[in-house]
Amino acid sequence: MSELSATVMNLPRRDAQDKLRGRTKYTNDRVRPDMLHAVLLRSTVAAGRIRKLDVSAALRCPGVRAVATGADAPGLYGIGIADHPLLAIDTIRYHGEPIAVVAAETEKQAREALAAIVLEVEPLAPVSTMAEALQPAARLVHEGWRGYEVITEGGARAGNIAWEAKSSRGDVDAAFARPDIRIVESSFTVGRQSHVPFEPRVAIGSWEDGRAHIQTSTQVPWTVRNVTGRVMQLAPGGVRVTVPPVGGGFGLKFDASIEPITALLARMTGRTVVLENTRQEEMATCLCRENAEIRIRSAVTAEGYIAGREAVVLMDCGAYGGEQVFLTTMTAHTLGGNYRVGATRLVSRAVYTNTPPNGAFRACNGVYNTFALERHTDEICDALGFDPMEFRKKNVLGDGDLGATGQVFEADVLGPMLDRMEALRASTGTSEAKADGRLYGIATTVGTWFVFVGPSAATVNLNADGSATLVTSGVEIGSGTMVQSLPQIVAGQLGLAPDQVIVREADTDAAGLDVGVGGGRTTVSIGAASIAACAEVREKLLRTAGEMLQTRPEDLVLRDGRVEITGRPGSGMSIPTVVAHAQATTGPITGSGAFTARNTPAMSGCAMGHFIDALDIPVFVVHEAEVAVDPDTGHVEVLAYRVVQDVGRALNPRAVMGQIQGGVVQGLGYALHEEVTITADGRIAQDDFETYRLPLAQDVIPVAADLYEGAPSMGPLGTKGAGEVPILAVGAAIGCAVARAIGKPVRQLPLTPPRVLRLLHEREPPPEFPHIAPGWASNTLG
Amino acid sequence: MTVIFQLNGEDCRFDGDPMTPLVDILRQERFLTGTKAVCREGFCGACTVHVDDEAVPSCLKPIGLVQGCAVTTIEGLSSGNQALHPLQANLEAADAVQCGMCFPGMVMSLSAFVRDNPHASRPEIKAAMVGNICRCTGYERIVDAVADRLEQARKAGQSVGGIHV
Repeated sequence: MSELSATVMNLPRRDAQDKLRGRTKYTNDRVRPDMLHAVLLRSTVAAGRIRKLDVSAALRCPGVRAVATGADAPGLYGIGIADHPLLAIDTIRYHGEPIAVVAAETEKQAREALAAIVLEVEPLAPVSTMAEALQPAARLVHEGWRGYEVITEGGARAGNIAWEAKSSRGDVDAAFARPDIRIVESSFTVGRQSHVPFEPRVAIGSWEDGRAHIQTSTQVPWTVRNVTGRVMQLAPGGVRVTVPPVGGGFGLKFDASIEPITALLARMTGRTVVLENTRQEEMATCLCRENAEIRIRSAVTAEGYIAGREAVVLMDCGAYGGEQVFLTTMTAHTLGGNYRVGATRLVSRAVYTNTPPNGAFRACNGVYNTFALERHTDEICDALGFDPMEFRKKNVLGDGDLGATGQVFEADVLGPMLDRMEALRASTGTSEAKADGRLYGIATTVGTWFVFVGPSAATVNLNADGSATLVTSGVEIGSGTMVQSLPQIVAGQLGLAPDQVIVREADTDAAGLDVGVGGGRTTVSIGAASIAACAEVREKLLRTAGEMLQTRPEDLVLRDGRVEITGRPGSGMSIPTVVAHAQATTGPITGSGAFTARNTPAMSGCAMGHFIDALDIPVFVVHEAEVAVDPDTGHVEVLAYRVVQDVGRALNPRAVMGQIQGGVVQGLGYALHEEVTITADGRIAQDDFETYRLPLAQDVIPVAADLYEGAPSMGPLGTKGAGEVPILAVGAAIGCAVARAIGKPVRQLPLTPPRVLRLLHEREPPPEFPHIAPGWASNTLG
Repeated sequence: MTVIFQLNGEDCRFDGDPMTPLVDILRQERFLTGTKAVCREGFCGACTVHVDDEAVPSCLKPIGLVQGCAVTTIEGLSSGNQALHPLQANLEAADAVQCGMCFPGMVMSLSAFVRDNPHASRPEIKAAMVGNICRCTGYERIVDAVADRLEQARKAGQSVGGIHV
C-alpha cells in the first residue's frame, strides 16, 4: 500500500496564493483594450413570433463591427434532442432569449446600437407552468418537436413532454392490492435554485488560422467545442477551447450557452470578441436547478416492509430540453434509491414551458427527490407508527438489494453509515438546549447519489528535470481536483512529490475527450485515466532503468524521485538520470490513458428512456439536522448539522471536509431562503443579490462530518466523487427536522419564514396536482 | 473632470466622468483585475478596496469621491515578491480558498477588521462578514482563519495587522 501512503495527504492548494493576492486571471479578467465587446438583444416577452428583424441600422451605428442573428448560426443543439437555436429563429420561447447580438469597439457602443435594431414580435400567450403545458389543448412550446434531430434514442416524447424516462420492476399493482398493506401518498413541490457563480458566464472568441478559439469559463470544454461546431456548421475540428481558472460553476457551466456567439462574431469581424453576462442577465437567464412536482405512493405492511412504490416526477425544463432531458434518468436512482422496495414503478417527465431554460445544479434532481422521499418516509412512519430511525435502519439498501431499475447494490453501506451517525451524534452531543423555548426538531435522513463516470483521457510526460506534466481536459472550478487530488494521484504512481507534477489546464487541442467537470467525476474519471497513463510511463521508466541497472524491471520500485531496487532504499538511480538515458536511447517517456463508464447493467426491461440504466458508482450520505423554529416569526435556525459521507477513499480529507461545509451551506440556502419565482410575464423575479437571498456567514454553522471509507468503488484507489454530493440531503434533513419541530407536514421548499408561519397556522395549501392523473400509467406515454 | 489620487502608493490621475465607479477604473483602465465586479450593487463585497485605510466597496464609490485619497487594492496589499499579508497566510493555511473569486474582497474587508478589532469574538467576526458573500466555502474556514490571525497576533503581543495598509 505504499502507493496509497504516497497519495493520501492534506496537500494544500497551489492556486491559493494567487487567488488570495488577486493575481489569478479568470476569463473575465482577460479583457484587453483591442477586443470587441458583444451585447445581446434579448426578448422582453415570454412567447411570440418574430415578424420582423432588421439590423441594418444597427450596423451603421458608431463603433459597430458586426451584428448577428439566428440566420448566421442555423444549427440546433441540445442533450438528447437538438431543439435549441443559438439565437432565436422565428419563434421566441422565453423572456430573456437572445435574438441578436452586436459587436462593437466598446460595450457602450454595442448597447447603444441595440436600440437601432428593428424587432417586431407578435406576442403569444405563454405556457407558464407545467400544469398548463400538460393540458390536452395546451399550445405547443415547440410546434416542430417531431422534426428535431434525436441525438440519443430511447425516450418517449410528445408535444410539451420533451422527454420521458420510466423504470418498472415487479408487480406494483399486486403490491398495492395486498390485504396486509396500508397506502401512504404524498405530494411535494419545489422551486428553482440559482447557482450564482461569482464569475458569470463569459467567453472570449477569436478566429485563428481558419478555426475558432474560445477561452471560456466552462465546466465542459468538449461540449463547448462540439456545440460551437454544430451551430456554426463548421468542419470537424474547427474549434479549440481553452479554459482559464473558473470562478465557480456548480453545474451552471455544464452546458454551452453564450460561447458559440463569440466564435461567430470573431469569424465575422476577424477580431477577438468578449461576451460577458451582466449580473442581471446571468440571474434572469440562469440555467437553474429545475422546479419540480412529485407524487409518491407507497404500500407498506404493518411490519414496515415497503411492498410497493410508485411515483410521478414532473421536471420543468423551461423553453428548451437541455440537461433536464438527461436528468429524467436520475429519478430512478434518487427517488428509487435509499430503500429496499418490493415492486416499484417511476416515471419522470421533462416538460416544456415558456420560461427560462433550466439546467444542471450540484446533485441535480437528487436534491428534491431526496427531500420528497425522506419526507414521504417520515409520513409513512407517522401513519403507521414507526420510529423513523428504526424504520430507516430496517429498510435502507444493503448488500444484494435491488434498485428501481433492477441494479444489484453491493455491500452494506447505508446501514453502517446510520450507526456511524449515531456515534457522531454521541461525540458532538445535541443542541436542543440552544432552542431556548423555540420549537425544536431533529431529523436523520439518507440519500443515494452517484458518480457520473463517462470518458476521460490523460497524457503524462515525464521530464528530465524530474517533473511530470499531466495533460487532460480537466478544469479547476474551485473544487480542488486539479490542484490536489490529480497531482497527488500522479505523484503517488510515479514516486514523485505532488509539487513535481505540473497540471495543464484544459485545452481541447492538447488533451483528449472529456465529458467535463461535474457529477463528482473528475477525481474518479480523470484520476483513472491518469493512473493508466502513469502505468505506461512506469513501464517505460522501469524497463530503461532495468537495462541501466542490469536488474529485472519487476524488482524495481519508484520512491522519493528514485528508481530503487526493491527493499534497498537509496539504491538505484534518480528518475531524471533514467529519463535522460531514455531520451537519448528510446525517446522521451510519455504515457497515455483512458477511462469510461463500465455501464453496469439494469434488469432487462426495467429502464426505459434512461441515459444511465444503473449506477457504476453509487454514493450514499446520511445527514442529520437540528433546528429551532421561532413560532412568532417562522424563522428557522439551524442549531447543528452532521454528515456521514461515503467517500470510498478520501485522498485529501481536509479538502473533502471543505467541500462538505460548502455543499451543505448551498443546501441550507435551497432549503431555507433561496427562492426563484416566475412573474406573470414570464421573468425570473429574483435577478440580483437584493432579491435572491444567498447564505451569509451569520446563517451558517460548522458542519460536523465523518468520512465513511471502504465502500466498493471502481474509482482509482477506491475513490468516489466527494464534491458534488454534500448538497444532496440537506433539503431532506431540514424539511424533516422542521416538520417535526412544528408538527405539520412540510411539502414544499424553501422554508422561508412566511411559509413556515403559514404551515404553523395551517394556512399553507398542500400541493395539488390536477395535471397528474390518479392512475400511474395514465401519466406515461405508454 | 480631473481626479488626482494615490493608487497603491503611486500618484494617479483620472480624466472623465466623476460618477464612473472606482471598480471600473481599476479593472478597465489600470488592469488591476484582482478587484472583482460581481454584483455591482454593494452586496457581495468582492470589489472591496481600502480608501484612506477604510474598507469600501469600489462599485459604489464614484471616482470623483476619491480625490486626494489613498486607494489600496488587493494588488497593493502584498505586492511583488512580498510575503503574504498575515491574514492571507492564515487563509492559505486553513485551506479556505475554493474558486477564489470572493477572496480579494474578503481579504480587503477582513484585513481592516482585524486591524481595528484585535479582540473580536467569533460572532463579531461573522457579523463583520455581512457584506462579503462566498458561494463556495460555507464561510467557517474563513472565520477560522480570522480567529487564528487574531489569536496569533495576541500571542505575539504585537499590534494586529502589523503590516500597515
